[in-house]
Amino acid sequence: MTVSTRSAAAAGQGAGGSRGPGRRRERPGRLRRSFAAHWYAWAMVAPVLVVMLVLIGWPLARGVYLSLTDANEANIGRTIGVNVIPSTYEFVGLDNYLRILTSGLFWDKLTWTVIWTVVCVAAHYGIGLALAVMLNRRLRFRSVYRVLLILPWAVPAFVAAFIWRYLYNSDYGVINGMLELAGLGPVGWLDEPATARIAVIAVNVWIGVPFMMVALLGGLQSIPAELYEAAEVDGAGPWQRFRAITLPGLRQVSSTVILLGTIWTFNMFPIIFLVTRGGPGSETEILVTYAFREAFTGVRDYSGSAAWGVIILLMLVVLAVGYRRTLRSQGDPW
Amino acid sequence: MRRLFPAVLPAATVLASLTLAVAACGGGGGGGEPAAPAASVSDPTKITGEVTWWDTTRPDSEGPTFQALIKEFEAAYPGIKVTYVNVPSDQAQNQFQTAAQAGSGAPDVIRSEVAWTSQFASLGYLQPLDGTRAVDRPDDFLPGPLSSTKYNGKTYAVPQVTDTLALIYNKRLLKEAGHEEPPKTVAELKQTALDVKAKTGAEGLALNVDSYFLLPFIYGEGGDLLDVQSKKIVIDSPANVKAMQTVSDLISSGAAPKPATTESYANAMTALKEGKAAMIYNGPWALSEIYQGKEFKDKQNLGIAPVPAGSVKAAAPTGGWNLAIYAGSKNIPAAYEFVRFMTTQKAQAKIAKEISLLPTRTSAYADPDVQGNRDVAVFKPIMDTAVPRPWIPEGGQLFQPLLEGYQDLVGGKSAPADMLKKVSEQYHGIMKDWS
Amino acid sequence: MSTYRPRGERGPLASFGLHAGLLIAVAISLFPVVWLVLTSLKPRDGWLSSELRLFDGSSLDNYARVLTATEFPRWLLNSVLTAGLTMVAGVFLAATTGYAVSRFRFPGHRGVMWLLLVTQMFPVAILIVPLYNLMAGLGLLNQIPGLVIAYMTIAVPFCAWMMKSYFDTVPIEIDQAGLVDGLTPFGVFRRVVLPLARPGIAVTAFYCFMTAWGEVGYATVFMSQEDKRTLGVGLQQFIGQHWSDWGLMTASAVLIAIPAGAVFLLVQRHLVTGLTAGATKA
Repeated sequence: MTVSTRSAAAAGQGAGGSRGPGRRRERPGRLRRSFAAHWYAWAMVAPVLVVMLVLIGWPLARGVYLSLTDANEANIGRTIGVNVIPSTYEFVGLDNYLRILTSGLFWDKLTWTVIWTVVCVAAHYGIGLALAVMLNRRLRFRSVYRVLLILPWAVPAFVAAFIWRYLYNSDYGVINGMLELAGLGPVGWLDEPATARIAVIAVNVWIGVPFMMVALLGGLQSIPAELYEAAEVDGAGPWQRFRAITLPGLRQVSSTVILLGTIWTFNMFPIIFLVTRGGPGSETEILVTYAFREAFTGVRDYSGSAAWGVIILLMLVVLAVGYRRTLRSQGDPW
Repeated sequence: MRRLFPAVLPAATVLASLTLAVAACGGGGGGGEPAAPAASVSDPTKITGEVTWWDTTRPDSEGPTFQALIKEFEAAYPGIKVTYVNVPSDQAQNQFQTAAQAGSGAPDVIRSEVAWTSQFASLGYLQPLDGTRAVDRPDDFLPGPLSSTKYNGKTYAVPQVTDTLALIYNKRLLKEAGHEEPPKTVAELKQTALDVKAKTGAEGLALNVDSYFLLPFIYGEGGDLLDVQSKKIVIDSPANVKAMQTVSDLISSGAAPKPATTESYANAMTALKEGKAAMIYNGPWALSEIYQGKEFKDKQNLGIAPVPAGSVKAAAPTGGWNLAIYAGSKNIPAAYEFVRFMTTQKAQAKIAKEISLLPTRTSAYADPDVQGNRDVAVFKPIMDTAVPRPWIPEGGQLFQPLLEGYQDLVGGKSAPADMLKKVSEQYHGIMKDWS
Repeated sequence: MSTYRPRGERGPLASFGLHAGLLIAVAISLFPVVWLVLTSLKPRDGWLSSELRLFDGSSLDNYARVLTATEFPRWLLNSVLTAGLTMVAGVFLAATTGYAVSRFRFPGHRGVMWLLLVTQMFPVAILIVPLYNLMAGLGLLNQIPGLVIAYMTIAVPFCAWMMKSYFDTVPIEIDQAGLVDGLTPFGVFRRVVLPLARPGIAVTAFYCFMTAWGEVGYATVFMSQEDKRTLGVGLQQFIGQHWSDWGLMTASAVLIAIPAGAVFLLVQRHLVTGLTAGATKA
């Protein structure tokens, strides 16, 4: 590349940071330059910042405020045509939070949400990794396998949810049809709490594995082959190589996709909402779907829904901070 | 918001245009439809505006009839343009609330389920209609549907169609099982279903796990969800426990196969349509779909009977749909005319004739077109015994807890009494000042 | 791509196991899609049959009905417009932001990173009503640009994150060389770095497109006008609480999956390198 000759000179410019730990040291004399750099940087992030702050920040700020009141659809003041509704909601402090956190339902739903998230992410990661390792071998039809395995990703989530609901149908579904062919009785997949939970997890795993597989495959391919060769020369077996080279080599990718996967699964609304509607009873309802139902049926409870939202958000922020801190304490610059 | 019309036009024009409107309704006859008092206001057919209407009917089988009515309306009111929007019935309530509270994006007229109307009204979303041109001859409406349009003594909607539940059955299967007559009580229902199962191989009764469909059993034992008079929650009454025991006995005895809880409605309907089940509880809205089934190519094979009686009485809930006007509408005068037009005796007769939805006007039942419709004729007497539900703003919220309870009951997760106790607790959470 | 190849050849048994494992996985991943296609070819009520039949009076009737008797073409147009705009705007925003965060250590750098992460944590379901009010205030209801802006909040945070990772793999020396040549930082970004980041951009584009293509929640509430509906919204007309037309539903689901699949095939070559190249930065 043409740059190579100039790189030495350019390195002294300090226009940007380098990657990895121990980056960016602006030298005192280059203050003006760094200002210029900042200006450009800000111009580049400004559109995103504006959109996010307006569309997420404003509702969030308002939500935090509302969560401290008893506002609902009936007492927020407004004028609609001839109807004038006075504003009568009041500041109630942390009542909403206390009410949610002291209800047994919240903890029930939280337990199930945690199980749902852990099982789904573990399955995504485990299956994704297994498939990625297989696809990373030299074998015939590799690209065909890869395309076919990524395909579920191209199916929109709501379509997938409908397909699966149909597959699970207790009277007319294919799964029960096949069970019957095999001489087994039909299973009311979505009718019993235990099977319904397994069923929604299976749908989510089906949808989520391709992403993990692709991400991990990318990670695997960036591990230099020489490492493996060296290890083999040293007499390391396949399992040892996997543990000593593959896993550490995937660390960066893994930490990112696991965090994102956790956040996405935790908030995975469409699958549960469209496959079981939370049923039977409210057994498969996770926090988000439950909060949605609580807040938006009948006379809407704005303060309650805001409190739910803030609680869910806080849990995820705490999780993310903790996760990053753990990673960093293990020497990961993330 | 409300606009008064300058009364400038000579009465003759008014009369002429009214005649035109009647003619456009689908041919003379009937009579007595146009309201005389309106003549003193102005010429309504000169009103201009655009009316957006959210319809919640089935777009393929019911939608065309309503679209045809809109064409007639636009012909009679050349100044008004109607935008027809079909919103699925399970989303309309939520979407309307979102749009109405924001003051933007809401339709001028919404087809509101009877249980939603008081809730929308209590939130200030609906235009009061007393004394407006939207309501024509209120005393002609059936009392049950009319009661659903009232909130705090004011009228907020106009009844469009009404419905209730009935026992819908496959005559051939019942006959093969040795029953010429449909069951009249729940005990007979169980016996008939067991006979069908034993003699024909088809299932007896297909249950649909939905709280609305539990109401006939509850009313049958003399129970109810609420006692509105004394503001009491009575869902866990002994009568209701008995009703739930009846339902669970139907399932455990094999009279009804264990129902699916998701796609419950579709599965039950399919079983009936394919001749895999002999009986089902359902309303007039289901008939057009049932007639598509292979068992009912011969419409005569379909029997419709009042819901079987419990130990106290035979009764089913009053359902149906109203037309309501959004208070923030910019086209309220035009919306009045539209609602008025869509709820005339003529319009109702057309709807009843074409898609078997039950009229809400007493006079419509005298119409030959309506009398000629077999399904309407069968449903009318059942309608007369239907029980209006408590029309309170929270009414729409009562179904979810009961549904969850029903699912638990079917899944064998809780016994009738426990399940109702849990539902009762949830009701207390919804209606805090009720006892 | 550096593929690890063991020096000792794999035994036939291991090969068999490998292929068997992959075939099972492929079967599971394809089965629902295949069944969807088969169902769409059955007659209107064919899906509700307790007997398992692969083909049951196969015909393209459902497709004909979808294309002629429903508003499907209109919805398709709206969806294509929405997804296309989301893709263009999303790639632009994600690329600039990702580049800024990757290259410049400006004050607030960490804040931006966190904002991108936290934005993904906010439950969409609870955001809908406030966002609706905001859109109503801005006059953006029933407008495709309004919906596109809403989709930015879903797609851009992740994409920016991904683009940042990708830019991290592009050696900084290239930028510096560009600067020395007298380009502005914008110029470096546009002329030098962006062309090198094509795989990353392909993935971002795919992700943005898929986000907009399959989204239902926002579209349902924001696009109430019949002629503004996207596919996801329109499709719900086929499946109601008390009735459903699975013939229409499955046929249109297949039609929906085709453009998504086409975009996917176009970029899938880049998916693997683009998605994680940065995060590993060997």
